[in-house]
Amino acid sequence: MKNTFTRFSMLASKINRQHIQIVLAILALAMLVLGIGAPADGGAGIR
Amino acid sequence: MILLLALISGLLVGLGWAGWQHRPYQAPALQSTWLAFVAFFPQIVVAYWPATRHLLPDWLASIALLISLILFAAFAWRNRHLPGMPILLAGLALNFIVIVANGGWMPISPQTASRLTGNDILGLMSLGSRFGQKDILLLSQNTHFEFLADRLLLPAWFPYQVAFSLGDVLVSLGIFWLLAHPSVKARIPPKERVHLDYI
Repeated sequence: MKNTFTRFSMLASKINRQHIQIVLAILALAMLVLGIGAPADGGAGIR
Repeated sequence: MILLLALISGLLVGLGWAGWQHRPYQAPALQSTWLAFVAFFPQIVVAYWPATRHLLPDWLASIALLISLILFAAFAWRNRHLPGMPILLAGLALNFIVIVANGGWMPISPQTASRLTGNDILGLMSLGSRFGQKDILLLSQNTHFEFLADRLLLPAWFPYQVAFSLGDVLVSLGIFWLLAHPSVKARIPPKERVHLDYI
């Protein structure tokens, strides 16, 4: 348990502000392209 | 899906290029990021969330879609200085024109739609009804700006089928360039970097 907590703490300490900024930017851009694009997906094997 | 594929490809190229140059990847410096989240909300309700997409009448849903597009246009315009964003804005403009001209939905012809669903399923749909998330079934001759509609298709032998517009192509190119480009900057030699630190 303690070991898991230590690992989690180490992982959390590696996530800095820049990582969060990248994730937010990618999320916003994903919303932008999904929002302004309008392709009609047929998917695979639907024909 | 093709739009997300362009986004992921651009990100991978950007990350790969940054890694090749031993530099951290720089995310695009977006302004007014909150606007993208606000703009996307109406589309979740009317297009993407299966539980709510048929709650609103079509006329109200199309208005929500147009409001969302205008908010996205404001967001893209606010970030127009970023590489790739002018191409993306051009794609947005083309999609906006054809959507507005056809009652708030992206038109798709029955011929194109039959490639996606098959004729048996398409036979159950009537002209003018919603197709997919943001499309509407319209005959080509009844479509305004038909050349901007969802009329482009992948080759028939391709396992994944999707119909997309000229605007979608530009949006895909723009997002790819935007994410692949930020890390492409001239690397400052270590000596100069030390010098700049003193300044």
